[in-house]
Amino acid sequence: MKGSETPSTGRLSRRDFFKGLGTTALAAAASQAESVAQELQKINAEKVLGPGPVPVTLKVNGKTHKLELEPRVTLLDALRNHLGLTGPKEGCDRASCGACTVWLDGVTIYACQKLAIDAQGHEITTVEGLTPDGRLTPVQRAFVERDALQCGYCTPGFVMSVSALLRKNPRPTVEDVRHACAGNLCRCGTHPRILEAALVAAGLPPVSTTRTEVINHV
Amino acid sequence: MSEWPAQPKVLGTRVPRVDGPAKVTGQARYSSDIQAPGLLIGMILRSPWPAARIQRINLEKARQMPGIKAAVAVQEGPRIVRYYGEELAAVAGVSRQACEDALRAIEVEAEPLPFVVREEDARKPDAPRVWEQAPNMPPPRVREEGNVDEALKECAAVIEGFYTTSVQLHHPMETHGGTVRWDDEGVTAWISTQGIFSVRDGLAGALRLDQSKVRVVTEYMGGGFGSKFGPGVEGVLAARLAREAGAPVRLMLSRFEEALAVGNRPSSFQRIRLGAKADGTLHVFDYENYGTAGVGAGQATEGGGGGADLPMPYIYRVPNRRIKQTTVAVNAGSSRAFRAPGHPVASFGMESAMDDLAVKLGMDPLELRIKNDPSEIRQREYRIGAERFGWKEKYRKPGSSPGPIKVGVGVASATWGGGGSSRTQGEIQINPDGTVEVRLGVQDIGTGTRTVAAVTAAEVLGLAPDQVTVKIGDTRYPPGPGSGGSVTAASVAPTVYDVCTRALEELQKQTGLPDVRGENWRAACKKLGVTPLVVQGRWREGLSSSGVGGVQFAEVAVDTETGLVTVRKIVVGQDCGLIVDPLTAESQVNGGVIMGIGLALYEERVMDWQSGVVLNPNFETYKLPGIADVPEIDIVLINMPERGVIGLGEPVHIPTAAAIANAVANALGVRVNSLPITPRKVLAALGKVPTAKA
Amino acid sequence: MKPFEFVTALSTESARELLGPKGQYLAGGNDLLGRPKDDITEANRLVNIKALPGLDRIEPGADHWRIGALVTIAQIEDHPEIRKVFPGLHQAAAEVGSQQIRNVATLGGNLAQHSRCWYYRHRDIQCLKKRGRICYAIEGDNRYHALFTGNVCISPVVSNLAIALTALDATAIVLRDGQERRMSMAELYELAWDNPTAHHSLRPGDLILRVEIPTQRRRSAYLQISEKHAFDWALVSCAAAANLENGRLRNVRVALGCISPVPHQVAAANQFLEGKAPDDDVPDHAADLLLAGAEPQTHNAYKIPMARALIRRTLRQLQA
Repeated sequence: MKGSETPSTGRLSRRDFFKGLGTTALAAAASQAESVAQELQKINAEKVLGPGPVPVTLKVNGKTHKLELEPRVTLLDALRNHLGLTGPKEGCDRASCGACTVWLDGVTIYACQKLAIDAQGHEITTVEGLTPDGRLTPVQRAFVERDALQCGYCTPGFVMSVSALLRKNPRPTVEDVRHACAGNLCRCGTHPRILEAALVAAGLPPVSTTRTEVINHV
Repeated sequence: MSEWPAQPKVLGTRVPRVDGPAKVTGQARYSSDIQAPGLLIGMILRSPWPAARIQRINLEKARQMPGIKAAVAVQEGPRIVRYYGEELAAVAGVSRQACEDALRAIEVEAEPLPFVVREEDARKPDAPRVWEQAPNMPPPRVREEGNVDEALKECAAVIEGFYTTSVQLHHPMETHGGTVRWDDEGVTAWISTQGIFSVRDGLAGALRLDQSKVRVVTEYMGGGFGSKFGPGVEGVLAARLAREAGAPVRLMLSRFEEALAVGNRPSSFQRIRLGAKADGTLHVFDYENYGTAGVGAGQATEGGGGGADLPMPYIYRVPNRRIKQTTVAVNAGSSRAFRAPGHPVASFGMESAMDDLAVKLGMDPLELRIKNDPSEIRQREYRIGAERFGWKEKYRKPGSSPGPIKVGVGVASATWGGGGSSRTQGEIQINPDGTVEVRLGVQDIGTGTRTVAAVTAAEVLGLAPDQVTVKIGDTRYPPGPGSGGSVTAASVAPTVYDVCTRALEELQKQTGLPDVRGENWRAACKKLGVTPLVVQGRWREGLSSSGVGGVQFAEVAVDTETGLVTVRKIVVGQDCGLIVDPLTAESQVNGGVIMGIGLALYEERVMDWQSGVVLNPNFETYKLPGIADVPEIDIVLINMPERGVIGLGEPVHIPTAAAIANAVANALGVRVNSLPITPRKVLAALGKVPTAKA
Repeated sequence: MKPFEFVTALSTESARELLGPKGQYLAGGNDLLGRPKDDITEANRLVNIKALPGLDRIEPGADHWRIGALVTIAQIEDHPEIRKVFPGLHQAAAEVGSQQIRNVATLGGNLAQHSRCWYYRHRDIQCLKKRGRICYAIEGDNRYHALFTGNVCISPVVSNLAIALTALDATAIVLRDGQERRMSMAELYELAWDNPTAHHSLRPGDLILRVEIPTQRRRSAYLQISEKHAFDWALVSCAAAANLENGRLRNVRVALGCISPVPHQVAAANQFLEGKAPDDDVPDHAADLLLAGAEPQTHNAYKIPMARALIRRTLRQLQA
C-alpha cells in the first residue's frame, strides 16, 4: 500500500532536501539557503567520489578545513593524522571503547566508525574544542579535582560523553551518568570517580561509590 | 637514618594529579600523538596460521605499492611460527590506507603445521608439539615438606577441589608501539612503555647501536599492567622501518593485535586438597597445578615472571605440603607479567579452598583465616574490614539467602612486596626566579608518579605541589627502575627526598641563608644571580620498605534464574606504608578492584580449537568491566608512616576475584569453581542447564 | 579497509541505481563499516542514504505509528510518546549498544544488521555464512549461538528492535525494485531460517523505508540478559505485547531473540496465553511451548533456563 504522505520515490522538494541535510543547513539564514543548496548540489549531487582522494571539507571546533581524503578514511584518522588533533584517541577502531568519542552536532559518536567524507556538513567538536581559550570547563575541573583519571588515555572520550550528557540533561541521576558513559571503557578503573565528577560538575552532591578512610596505624 | 617528617604539611594530603589538566584537555601527548616532519605509519603482517613453516616472504610487490617507503621481514630465511598473530613482516607508508594495501600485497609461502591451542588437548601425549624438541607439558616440579599422606589421616576435615582460571589479557587502553626517528645523534623512540631504560637497552641491542645513541621518551603512556617492557618486536620493527625509509615511523598495534601477541596472564587448573585439625589449624596441603603460558611454556618472557607457576599455599603456612606445578605450551601468544603475576590466581585457588574447608568444618570462613593467617597487618585488616563491611551481620551459611536473587559474602587476602629500587637517581634544577624542575628517568603508567614526586618535593622544600614542575620519562634524565612490581612510588619518593634535601643544603650554602624554605624561597633563589642550581641525588635508605598485606570483602547478588552476578560492594583493607597522596592511592585501589571484577566475572581469551585463532580479539567479546558493572567500593587505607613508602598498585588487585568467587559460593550454596563466573556457569552449577544432545 | 567509492543518493531510485553490483547502503555505519575493516564483506561502493527525503520521521497515528528507517535509535529512545505507547520498543532501543552508537544507528540498520557470530566476524575464518565449507560454531565454541535453526548455520538474530517489533506485530515497508512491499517481522527474517548465507530476507538493493506499528497492543515490554550490565549483546532477549483486560492477556504476542536466525515466535504459545492472566504456572507453560523443540549445542543449553526466566519476567512486566 502506498502511503499518502511523502512519496518514497520521485523528485525532492527543496524543504525535504534541507531536512535531509540536518541541523547545519536549517540553521543557515534563509538568504543563504539558496547558495547552500546549490553548493551541495554542485559538490555532491549524486556524484560518485573516490576511491582515490577527493576534496573533503570538515568543520571542526569552529574551523573549516579542506582536505584531500580517500572515502575510506575515518573521521578519527582525519582528525588525528590529517588535522593534528590528537585529543581523540584510537583504542579499538571498532566502535567499542569510546576513546575516540567526539561530538557530531553536539551529540557523541565514535569517530572511528564515521567516514570523514560522511561527516561533511556537520559541526564536529573534539576535546580540544571544548575550551578555545584553554581554560578548563566545569566538567574538566571536576575530573581533575575528583581524580577521575589515571593514565588519561580514555579521559578525552569520557570528558566528551559527560559534557554531552550535561548539555542535554543538566541534572542527571546516577543512572543517567552510567547510561551516558556505558560506551566508554577504562582499564585503569576510574569509573567511580567519573561518576562523582559528573555529578559535581552538574552542581549535584557527589554520590560517591568510593569511600575512603585513612587510619593511622599506631 | 632518614625519616619522613612527623607532621607533614603536604605528604598525606589529597593532592589532585599534577598532570590532570593536560589529560582532560587532550594536550597530553602519548606515543601515538607525537608529530614529526615526514612521519610515516607502520603496520605489521602477522601469521594467519597457528603453526607454520615459513619458507619465503616476498616483499617486492609491497615495496612498489603507492606511498610505501619501507618493507622489512622480521627475520630473513625460513623459520617456524608458532601462534596465530606471530609477526612476519612490516611496512611503512604515508598513510594507514597505503599500509593496509601493502600488507595485502606481501606474499608468504608457508606450509601449515599441526597445532594445538587448548590446554586439555596439549597435555595429551599424542598432541602436536608446540616446540619440536620438548613435550608440551614437562614433568612437574615437586616441592615437599613434612609428610602429606600421613598428615591427611590426622585431619578432622579434608576438602578436595578443582579450581580453574582462564587466560586474561592486559588490554591497556593505549596499545603497544610508538614513534621512532633516526637523526645524526642516533635514535629517538617515543614508545608506550613501563620501562624507558628497558626499551633503550632492547633497541640498542637489536639495532647494534651504542646505548648512548638511543634516547627513549615517554612522557605519557596509556597503561601497561606488566605487558610493556622492552621495545617489543613492534618497537624494533618501527626502528628498522624508520631507518630504511629515512623518515620517522609511528607503529601502533591495533586492538586486534593486542589480543594475539603482547602478553597475557596464564590460565590455571588447580587441584587442591586442604585439610585441617578440628580447631581449624591448617595441617595439610596437596596441590597440583598446570596452566598455559602460550608458546612461552614457563620460560621467563619479556618482562619476566610470566610463567604459570603460582606461589602456594599463598599466604598460609601449612606444615605438610606437596606442590606439583608445570606449564603447558600451546600455540598461542606468550604470557607476560600481569599485575601481581601469579598472585590473583593463587589467591583465588587458595582462598576458594579455604572457604570450602570452612564450610566442611562448620566454621565462619573469616574465623578460619584469623586462625591461620600469620600476618599481623592482615589480622588488623580482617578486624577493621569486617567491622566496616558488617561481616557478622551479613555472613550466613552458604545458600541460605532466600531467592531468587541470592546474596552472599566472601573474603580473601593478599601479600605483596613493593619496595623501592636503590638504583634510582634524580635531579632538581632551581632557577633564580624560584621555579623548580625535578627530573627523573621513570614513568607514570597512570599511578601518579609525577604527583608523588611533586608532593615529596613540595614537602621537603616547603612549597605547594603546583610550584614544582616534574619531568619524567626521558632516558636523558637520571635513571630509575621500570614501573613493575609496584616499586615506583617507593623508588621515587626517597630519591626526591634525597635530591631536595641536598638541594636545600646547597642553596643554603650558596646563599648564606639558614632557612630557604617556604616564604624564604623566592628571596633565596634570587640570590643565585643568573645561574640556576642543579643538584643530583639518589635513593635513600629509611624512607621506604617492602611487604604489604591486604584484605578484601565482597558482597554479591546472584540472580538464580538468569545466572547474572552483580557485585554490590567491595570493602578493602590495605596498607602501603606511608600514604603519599590518599586521593591517588584510592584511585589505585579502585583500579585494582575493578580489574579484579573483570577477572572474576567477564574476562577470558577464547581460542578456537579448529582453526587455532583467537576468537575474541576485540572488546565486543573480550569483556572489560564498564561503569555499570562497578560496585560500591569502600576503602580503608592504613597509614603506617614508620614503614616509609611502599607500593600499592598490585596488592589491591590480588584478592578481589577470590573474594567475589567466595561470595558467589556463599550465596548459592554451591561453588562455581571456574573463572570467569558467567551466567552460563552459574546456571550449570545450580543444575538448571539441561544436558545437550550428543 | 579496501578502497571504495562513496556517493550520496538524493532519491530512492538513484540510490538503487547507484548501488550497482557490489554496493551497499550506508546509514549509521555501525555495522557496515565494521565489516570491511575485517574483510568480512566487500563493498566497492557505499551509497549514503541519509539524505533520502522523508525517511527520518516519527509519525504518530491513532491506529498505527510510522517510524522512518533513518530514525536513529537515540531518537526512538528519547521520544516521550513512544515510551508511553510502545514501552517495549523504548526498552529495546535503550539497550542497543552505547549512547555513541544509538546517536547514529538507525532503525533500518538495526534490523538489517549482519550476524555477530564470532566465526562469521573473524577475518581469518571462512565460515559457511561467508560461503565457506562449514559452520565452525557447531563443533566449536557456540555459547552465543542458536537453539533453533532450519539450516546448518546456527548464528542467531541479535537485533533488539526486531524482537520488540515482532511482539508488537509491526510491519516493515521495504522498497524492492521500485515497489513497496509489506513484510511482517517474520517475513523480514524468514530467508535466514533456510539459507545459511542469509542474515534476513532482504535482497541486494532492497531498502527498508519505514516500520508501521499498530497501536492495538497497549502494553509491551522488552528484557534481555547479558554478561555485563550494560553495553553488551544480549545472551537471550524477550519481548511481549498485549492488551490487559481484567488482568487477562488479549492479542498477546511473545517473541524471543538470540536463539534463532529469526525472531522466535510460537503460535501455540500465543494461543495458550490468550485470555489468561500471566500468573502461577501460566508463564512456565508458555515457556514450555515457546522452547519446545529447542536443540541446544554443546555450550548454549543455558539459554533455555535463561529464556524461561525472561519469559516469566516479561509477561509480568506487562501487568505493571
